[in-house]
Amino acid sequence: MSEPSTSRETDAALSARGLTKRYGSTTAVESVDLTVDPGVVFGFLGPNGAGKTTTMRILTGLIDPTSGEARVAGVPSDDRARLVDHIGLLPEEPPLYDELTGREQLQFAADLRDIRWDAVSERALGLCDKLDLSEDLDRRIDGYSKGMRQKTAFVQTVQHDPDVVFLDEPTSGLDPRAAKTLRELIVDLAESDTTVFLSTHILPVVEEIADEVGVLHEGRLVAEGSIDELVASAGAAADDRATDDQTVDDRAGDSAETAGADDPDLEDAFLALTSREETDWNADA
Amino acid sequence: MTDLARDAWTVLRTEIRVRVRTVITDRRTLLGTASSLLLFGVLFPWFFRENVVSFGERAATGAVPLGPLGAAFATLAVVGVTVGASTGFGQETTGTVGPLVRTSVAPTAVSLARLASEVARGLTIFVLPAFAVLTFLGTGYGGPALPALLAAGALPVILAALLVGRLVGDAVRYLNLAVGVSLWVKAAVTVVVTLVFFVGTQALLFAGSADAGEGSESPLAAASLPPFLPGEPLQSYAGVVTSPVGGSPRALGWAVGIVAVAAVPVALAAALRAETHLLFRETSAGDAGDAVAGTSGVPRPFTVGPGARVAWRYLLRTRRDPRILSHLMIVLFMGIGSLGNVVRDPGSIVHIGPPIAVIGGAVLAGATYCMNPLGDDVDQLPLLLTSAGSTSVLLHGRALAGVAVGLPLALGVGVPLAAVSESLLFAAWLAVLAVALVFGGAGVALGLGAVVPKFETREYMSVERPHPSNYVLFGYLLGVTLGGGIGFLLVDRAASGAPGALVGVGWAVYLAVVGGAGLGGYVYAHRRFDDLSLDRF
Repeated sequence: MSEPSTSRETDAALSARGLTKRYGSTTAVESVDLTVDPGVVFGFLGPNGAGKTTTMRILTGLIDPTSGEARVAGVPSDDRARLVDHIGLLPEEPPLYDELTGREQLQFAADLRDIRWDAVSERALGLCDKLDLSEDLDRRIDGYSKGMRQKTAFVQTVQHDPDVVFLDEPTSGLDPRAAKTLRELIVDLAESDTTVFLSTHILPVVEEIADEVGVLHEGRLVAEGSIDELVASAGAAADDRATDDQTVDDRAGDSAETAGADDPDLEDAFLALTSREETDWNADA
Repeated sequence: MTDLARDAWTVLRTEIRVRVRTVITDRRTLLGTASSLLLFGVLFPWFFRENVVSFGERAATGAVPLGPLGAAFATLAVVGVTVGASTGFGQETTGTVGPLVRTSVAPTAVSLARLASEVARGLTIFVLPAFAVLTFLGTGYGGPALPALLAAGALPVILAALLVGRLVGDAVRYLNLAVGVSLWVKAAVTVVVTLVFFVGTQALLFAGSADAGEGSESPLAAASLPPFLPGEPLQSYAGVVTSPVGGSPRALGWAVGIVAVAAVPVALAAALRAETHLLFRETSAGDAGDAVAGTSGVPRPFTVGPGARVAWRYLLRTRRDPRILSHLMIVLFMGIGSLGNVVRDPGSIVHIGPPIAVIGGAVLAGATYCMNPLGDDVDQLPLLLTSAGSTSVLLHGRALAGVAVGLPLALGVGVPLAAVSESLLFAAWLAVLAVALVFGGAGVALGLGAVVPKFETREYMSVERPHPSNYVLFGYLLGVTLGGGIGFLLVDRAASGAPGALVGVGWAVYLAVVGGAGLGGYVYAHRRFDDLSLDRF
């Protein structure tokens, strides 16, 4: 793997260049270039099947890219042995053992990292307290609700204070109160200089807590920047499109109308960016 | 009624289509199915070919030997009941019938389809061997009359057996759901019933073969059936079936035939009712009664390092849900034959006890947690691979958990028995062998499991999870038995005062091979695990 080429990449919590993943003739991720600074909540958006999970798996070392390279906390993503010291991953399906209790699961996760439970228990139990999980920690996980499983998996992901946290739909299954607490915890993580790579379909969550956003569409990163930049550029481009050609495509037209409304928001930008028509949004952004 | 049949046919067609696709699209499943068909459908009948041809030749003289026919019908009945019972008990999770179907068509249609699917599958098992045996029979008899009659006569027997077995399986499943006992009690009952069944069968077969005398020409030639098999009624039934070609019909035979034919619709109706009832009951079944309070921490023997602490979690999970080890039932089936000797001669336990305990300990050390190190944790791989700097901690954990199960049996049972039955010197050497086999076995098992990982969940003993490959388990058992046998020779030589240098060289080579194999297996699993990519998931 070559060294980072720019000073921003050198200092970045996460960087990717030309990241491509192919399965036979199917391209899941194509030429993704990405840079995320430390302490940032990065919202990673995209429609179903856009390649978000594949990208996260590459970044966390679970799969190798077909070409391109990525670094997380300065460590090449294919160097799993070193990478694990810097990351935490919460996949969409919480990876828990049904037969263990919540506390035992957290202890097990610490054991895997060869960290004494005493060293992380204060932080872990504190997070459990905030998530109203403490009273259930000594119950078996197979008796947990979906939300409780999600909370346990979240604590397991961050209890060792990683540099970069990858969260795939972290608020899935949570009730509104727990979801709010989790969003606050994510902001707290970022404030303590942890980078959060947040993949979700829930746009209001991203709008509320993300500092930067990347939009993946059909394997390509079609936009990257702050939410304001994204909304502005998508709105402007859609306006241009609506003016130039009103009849290109019904869906694109609908998106353009929406994005061209008085107060466009992230949803408008997302819909415009992920309309099926080929558009080089990065050029606008 | 038409709607019921149409709905049942729709569900049945889907079930069969999915099953066939599962077999033909997965190379390993296809290979396994083809191997089973070859073994039971071709090789097994071929083994009896001469006897069957000879039977046909004797029948062609006009004197149909009813003894072997009774035995054959009895075998069909026993196998049919066994297959039916196992599918009935395992119906809880098999098949593609999900909540959508349950709430879309009449429950009876769903039950009928599931039942028909399983009966069809049960019958499929018999098709190839039956065809082969009937062909051999026709060759000996010189025409198709006898094979055709026997096929027609066997059909009600096998159908009735499958359906009655199904009812038995349903009843056991109902009890399993209704009785809220610990999973360990259920597991213990399953193991004890299996042991009693096999050991009892061995004892009865032994008695039966003793009755038949030493001069029996073949297994089929034993006219005297073991007393637990319904020999007399089924021989009479065979007389009725073969009456057009010289058999001697008796009233008892007609009665058996009528009962067999009548049992088919009666058992079908009863099974349908039972399964329709269970169809909705099973969805609410759970094991909430097994929920336990958490442990306060890791016991001292398991605090020595992260691998030991991980080992404790594996043991803890097993203590709470023994179904994790359901794949060991096949080991029990394989090893159970040796218990037959103990049934015949209880005093032999002190002599065969040490080898059984030491080899059994080594088998357990490898087979409990090490046979599928990658696949067992397939749902947790994202956590494991992004948490452990080296997967050695997981492999250590698995190996240590296996050793914690196997070593007490090998050292705690095998060595004391050897001290009683042989000598202290023999017991000391046996202890060396036990330690080598147990640790070496765990390493070898890790390697085998890494060579043939099983990530897909499949059902075995009513438990759906990524069970290890049965072929690999079987190979491991054979390998440990062979390695243990060689080790016993060395123990015997060493304890009986053979020349020291020779014994020393023998032990050195043996320990190097066992240790090297164990280490090699561990290293291979480690490399494979560390290089694992989740591309396929």
